[in-house]
Amino acid sequence: MHDPVLSLHRVSFCYRSVAALDDISLDLRRGEILGIIGPNGSGKSTALRIMSGVLRPQAGSVLWLGRPLAQVRRADLARQLAVVPQDTAIEFPFSVLEVVLMGRAPHLGGFAFEGDRDIAAAQAALRRTATSHLAHRCIHELSGGERQRVTLARALAQEPQVLLLDEPGAFLDIRHAVEIYDLLRDLQAEGMTIATVLHDLNLAALYCDRVALLKAGRLVRLGAPGEVITYATLTEVYETEVYVDTNDITGAVNVLPLSRPYRERLRR
Amino acid sequence: MPYLTRRRFVRVNALLAAGLLATLCGAALIGPVHVDLMRALQRTGGPSPDFVILFDTRLPRVLLGAVVGGALAVAGAALQGLLRNPLADPHILGISGGAALGGIVAIILAGQQPLAAFSAGPVGSFLGALGATFLIYRLALVHGRLQPYTLLLTGVVVNAFAGALIMFINSLADFYQAHGILFWLMGSLATQSYRLVGTITVYALAAAACLLWQARHMNVLSLGEEAALQLGVEVERTRRIIFFTSSLLVGAVVSVSGMIGFVGLIVPHVLRLTLGADHRLLLPASFLAGGMFLVWADTLARTLLGATEIPVGVVTALCGAPFFIYLLTRAAGKAFD
Amino acid sequence: MSLRCWLLFFGVIVAASHAPAMRVVSLAPSVTETLFALGAGDEVVGVSTYCDYPPEAAKITGVGSFLTPNIEQIITLKPDVIIGVPTPGNEEPVKTLQSLGFKIVIVPADTVEQTRTSIEMIAHALAREADGRRLIEQFDTRLAAVQQRLRGAPLRRVLMVVGQKPLVAVGSGTFQDELIRMAGGINVAGATRLAWPHLNLETVIAWAPQVIIDTSMGTEENTQVLEFWKQFPSLPAVREQHLYAYRTYELLRPGPRIPEALEMIARAVHPERYEELGH
Repeated sequence: MHDPVLSLHRVSFCYRSVAALDDISLDLRRGEILGIIGPNGSGKSTALRIMSGVLRPQAGSVLWLGRPLAQVRRADLARQLAVVPQDTAIEFPFSVLEVVLMGRAPHLGGFAFEGDRDIAAAQAALRRTATSHLAHRCIHELSGGERQRVTLARALAQEPQVLLLDEPGAFLDIRHAVEIYDLLRDLQAEGMTIATVLHDLNLAALYCDRVALLKAGRLVRLGAPGEVITYATLTEVYETEVYVDTNDITGAVNVLPLSRPYRERLRR
Repeated sequence: MPYLTRRRFVRVNALLAAGLLATLCGAALIGPVHVDLMRALQRTGGPSPDFVILFDTRLPRVLLGAVVGGALAVAGAALQGLLRNPLADPHILGISGGAALGGIVAIILAGQQPLAAFSAGPVGSFLGALGATFLIYRLALVHGRLQPYTLLLTGVVVNAFAGALIMFINSLADFYQAHGILFWLMGSLATQSYRLVGTITVYALAAAACLLWQARHMNVLSLGEEAALQLGVEVERTRRIIFFTSSLLVGAVVSVSGMIGFVGLIVPHVLRLTLGADHRLLLPASFLAGGMFLVWADTLARTLLGATEIPVGVVTALCGAPFFIYLLTRAAGKAFD
Repeated sequence: MSLRCWLLFFGVIVAASHAPAMRVVSLAPSVTETLFALGAGDEVVGVSTYCDYPPEAAKITGVGSFLTPNIEQIITLKPDVIIGVPTPGNEEPVKTLQSLGFKIVIVPADTVEQTRTSIEMIAHALAREADGRRLIEQFDTRLAAVQQRLRGAPLRRVLMVVGQKPLVAVGSGTFQDELIRMAGGINVAGATRLAWPHLNLETVIAWAPQVIIDTSMGTEENTQVLEFWKQFPSLPAVREQHLYAYRTYELLRPGPRIPEALEMIARAVHPERYEELGH
C-alpha cells in the first residue's frame, strides 16, 4: 500500500558546473499526494525532471517500481507516468482537442489514427479539467490559465497511474487553483499517485499527504505537512519571518507573510 | 474539424491527387507553341513536331515539376516541424547551397572533358549535398543532441559560406561557365529523360514515406522537447531521421533541378493555415499541392514570354513573396484585433 | 650637300620612321590578338588573364580579368598606352587611370564594322598606321572571299547555341548574329530581339532550324554534346545531319580572327560550297 512507485537514492545533478541537486533521497509512495516545496532555485523542478526521466543524475539512482528508471523504455513509461510542465509554448496552430489527443501518443503507433477509445479518453480529460468548451479553439487563443488546464487534460488523457506536476496553479486564480487541487484529490481517490511542485505553502499543507522541503539542492525535511511546515523550519529555510498558525476550519497549518514592520518586531 | 479522422485524410488527399492529375494533363497541353493532340498522335512518316514537343519536351518536364515541387514542399513541411519554425524553408539549412556548390565545382572541373561533364553535374551536386549535410550535422551537435536553434544557425552559416564560394567561382568563370552556374542558382525543370523523372520519383516517394512514418512524432515534438520525451517520443532519433531524410531529399532534388525557392516555404505554410497543423495530413497534402504549385509556376515560366523562358526560381519567388506578405499582414491584423 | 650630310639626313628619316618601342597594356583578349597581328607583340607588357592567343600572349604579365582590371598592377608596368573594350566592370578603373594621367583608348566591339574601326584605332594609338591598313586589307579580303564563295546560296535557318543547361543561344544585336547572316543564314533566335536569350526548347522545335552550331561544351573532336539534339528527330538539322560542335573563342572575340570565325560558320551553314576543294 505504501510501497514506493518512484524512489531517488542519493541523487546528485549538476547543470554544467552548477550543482542543482546534492545527495537527495526521497520516495514517492503509491496512492499519496507528495508536495515538493522550497525557495526559488532550490532544485524543485530539477527533482521533478529527474523523477520523470528527462534528466539523468550524475550520482545516485532512480528507481521506478523497483527497476532502474534508465532501463525502462520511454514509450512504456509514458503509458503509466504523465507530466504536467509549467508552460509549453506551441508554435503550430493545433486545436485544443488535438493537443489533448497528443496525450494518447504513447498508446498509438507511428502513423495510426485515433480510435473511439482515444477520443473518449480525451473528452473525459477535457470534462474533468472544465475545458470542454475550448475543444475546438486554437491553442494560441487561450489565456495562460486555460492553457495550463489543457496541459493537465493532456496528461490525464494519457490515463497514467502516476502524475507529476510542476506548479499546476501558477497562472490560475484562487478559484481555479483550488479546483485543480480538488481534482487531484479526486484522482487520488481513484488510485492515482501524485507528486507536485508548488510554491503555495498553504495549498501544500491543505492537500498533500507528505511534503518534501528542499533548499539549495538538499532535502531539509520530508514528512507530513504539520511536521515540515513549522515556524522554525520555515524561518531557517526561507530566511525571513512568517506567521504560522493552524486554520480553524480545515485544521491545516497556515502560513502568512508579514510586512517589514511586523517582521522586525518579531525579530526582536 | 478539430482533429484528423481517417475519412478526412482520405478525402483531402483524394481531392488534391485529382487536382494534381488535372494539372499534369492541363499543363502538358499548354505552351508557347500550339500543339494539336490529334496531330501529335499520328505517327505517319516519323514523329511530327507536335509529338516531339508534347512527349519529348513538355511531358517529362511537367512530370519532373510535379515530383520536384512535391519533394520540396514535403521537405519544407518536415523541416518546419523539426526546426519548430513555420517560416523555415528547405534551402535554409544550407544543403542546397552545398548541392549547388558541388554541381558548379563539378562542371568546372569536368569542363575540359566533355564526356564527364554531363553526369558530373548531378553527381557532384549530390556529393555536395551529402557533404553539407554531414558538416551541418557535426557542427550542430551539442552534447550529442540536435537542437533546433543551433541547427538553424549552423545551416544559415553554411549556406552563406557556400553562397560566398559560389560567387567567388562565378567571378573567375569564363563566359561558358557563367551560364552553367546560372542553372544551379535559378533552377530549371527542363528535361527530356523519363528515366531521370522515374528515378527521382521513386527516391522522393521513398523519402516522403519515411517522413510520413514520423508524422505523429512531429506533432508531439511541437509540444517541446521535454514534453515529447515524457510522451514517449525518442526525440533525438526522430530529429535525426527527419534531418537526414529531408536533407538528402533536398540534395537530390537540387542536383536535378537547381535551387528553386519558396515552394517549400509557402506550400506547407498555407496548407497549415487551411488544413490544420497535424503533420499526418500536412505531409502528404504538401507533396500533392507542392507538385501542383510548381507545375503551374513552371508553365507560367515557359509560356509567359513566348520564345524565351523565365527561370522557374524567379517565378516562384515573384509569386511567393507578395503572397507571403499578404499572409503576414493578415496574421498581424488578426493579432491586433 | 656633302655625302655625309645626305647620310645623316637619311639616317634621321629612317630613325624617325621607326616609332620608339612603346609599352602597351591590353585589357581584352580581342585587343591582344589585334596587337600581335599588327606585329606589336613585343611591345605588349600587360594582358588580361583571359588573353591566350597567340600562345606568347599567355606568358605576359596578367593585369586582372577582362571585367575588373587590376589598377595597381597596371601602374607598376608604366604603360604608354592602355587599350580596352567597354565593359560594365572597367568603367571605374578606366576613369581612375585617366585621372592619374595614363593614356587610355577604348575601342568599340559590338559589330564587324566596329571591329575594323577598332583595328584602325589600335594601330593609330601605336603609330603603326601602315601595319593597321595592311591588317584591315587582309581582314576585308578574307571576309569578301567567304562571301564570294557563298554568293547565290540559299538562306538556311541556323541556331547557334552557347549553353544547353540552361538553353542559351546567340540572339540579335551581337556580332555573332551578324556573322550568321553574313554566312547566308537566318538566325532563328534573332526573333527574340534579345542578345543571349534563354530559349524554350519547344519553340526551338517549332522553329525547325536546318543547321545547329552548338558551342556549349564540346570541341571539334568531341561530339558528345550533340547527343542532346539527336533526341529530337523532327528537327531538319538532325534529320539532315547538319549538327556541329565547336568551342572556340574566335567566335567570342571581335578581333582579327573574325574572318576565320565567319569561315567556320559558313562551312557549317553551307557545307556544299566547300566540298569542291576537298577540305
